[in-house]
Amino acid sequence: MFEMLEYDFMQRAFLAGILIASLASISGTFIVLKRYSMMSETLAHSALVGVAVGLVAGYNPLWMAVVVAVTSAWIIEYLRSSFAIYSDAVLAILLSGSLAVAIIIVSLGGAFNNSLFSYLFGSILSVSHEDIVTIGIFGTMSLALLLTFSRELYFIAYDEEVAKTSGVKVKFLNFLLVTVVAIIIALSIRVVGSLLIGALMVIPTVAALQYRVGFLQTGLISLLIALFSVIAGMTFSFYFSLPSGATIVLCVILIFIISLVINKK
Amino acid sequence: MPLSFKVPIFDVKNLNFSTRGQQILSRISLEIFNGEYIAIIGPNGGGKTTLIRILLGLNEPTSGEVKLYGKKIKDFKEWSKIGYVPQRASLVDENFPATVGDIVNMGRVSKQSIFSRFSDADKTAVEDAMRKMDVLNLKDKMIGTLSGGQRQRVMIARALASNPEILILDEPNTGVDMVSQKRFYALLSKLNKDEKITIIFITHDVGVIADDIGRLFTINQQVTICNTPKDTLSCDEMSALYGIETHSIHQHKHHEH
Repeated sequence: MFEMLEYDFMQRAFLAGILIASLASISGTFIVLKRYSMMSETLAHSALVGVAVGLVAGYNPLWMAVVVAVTSAWIIEYLRSSFAIYSDAVLAILLSGSLAVAIIIVSLGGAFNNSLFSYLFGSILSVSHEDIVTIGIFGTMSLALLLTFSRELYFIAYDEEVAKTSGVKVKFLNFLLVTVVAIIIALSIRVVGSLLIGALMVIPTVAALQYRVGFLQTGLISLLIALFSVIAGMTFSFYFSLPSGATIVLCVILIFIISLVINKK
Repeated sequence: MPLSFKVPIFDVKNLNFSTRGQQILSRISLEIFNGEYIAIIGPNGGGKTTLIRILLGLNEPTSGEVKLYGKKIKDFKEWSKIGYVPQRASLVDENFPATVGDIVNMGRVSKQSIFSRFSDADKTAVEDAMRKMDVLNLKDKMIGTLSGGQRQRVMIARALASNPEILILDEPNTGVDMVSQKRFYALLSKLNKDEKITIIFITHDVGVIADDIGRLFTINQQVTICNTPKDTLSCDEMSALYGIETHSIHQHKHHEH
């Protein structure tokens, strides 16, 4: 079982996977409770625009992904809070729009299709030491912000208006949350891919909600489900030569189905 | 605090609110003082909730001025003085992962700074609030499993956890049975008398207005202020505003005598 950990690239893959599972599931808890699930998908596709720009223009794709995802998150949050428009429709428009822009940029830029492909589906086995350091530093900062404001964010998710009349800085914290989520998504797409990060962010929490327990326990169950799925998914992918991102997502969906069945009323 | 009798908690002057070309509130002026017990009634769509939302800074008035403890709403900082229980409060999302304790804890969030998290004082305040509303024994229960009356008391416990000076309740009886309603109004009176908490509540059900209400505001685009429930009986404007439902007040009073 542990022979796979004798390989350097597997050690890095596991480390990156564990970091991303923790970041995605903890930020995902707030996203799901705020009914922003679709936002993670949209931001993942916005991040692709950054990757495309980076690949074509020769900048670091990861940094460009962070910049574009954060900008996109701010636009979404601004539209949501300032105008009475259907926020799910805005997300759908930005999602397909971003993907279209990313594909056009890459296609105009020439033969970069293979690189883009790896950002769509992730390549956890080609994670470099530098990637881990980047994910570690920015992931820790994001996590510290989320945990510092977890009570406020939970209150806002429960009832935004009551939180506001209780003196919680709702507008600031909503922008902070989407910014942190955009950063986490941009950090993650190299590893699990933009098509799959949404699943890792949303499904562990939705599965945890089936156990009908309080806030803290829901967050912990969600974290455990994400960690287990990533470890199990990567193990299967190593021994059966399966694509890692997709295997991880299937594992988390399997746990979701099990949670649904055993908690059926 | 003799000064607090001079400076009204809420000071509204010539307030107007319209949305999508429709006038919802027109030339509203009123003052609410420390220690009052006020009921706001009026027909559905008459602007009761809108007025409360403006008082709390959730809606911007089209024109006019609202002051909270003598300050403009955007300059007001001491939000923990105000406990707000919105209309839909007891109709919670049953799947939201929250125990009764989780919900009441929210009432302390604005009292905490970033670096001092849940302290002993917070814990005591939360337990006191739960005890006052008789929900301490439900602390570890999931909010989705409670009855309407229990949820209502939890929501008020959350509002009380910040030790507010004023409690604002919007149609607190939505989804609550009659027995719980009676118990609930007894609790409100107690909070007003014993804890000196200023109470403002909205209802569209004139039948529930109790004798110990200090003032009654009727709102149907404009406001009419009746000073005591006895005034209400002769408050002609109310009759005009409320039409047939005024009758039910007479009946209610009649039964009590």
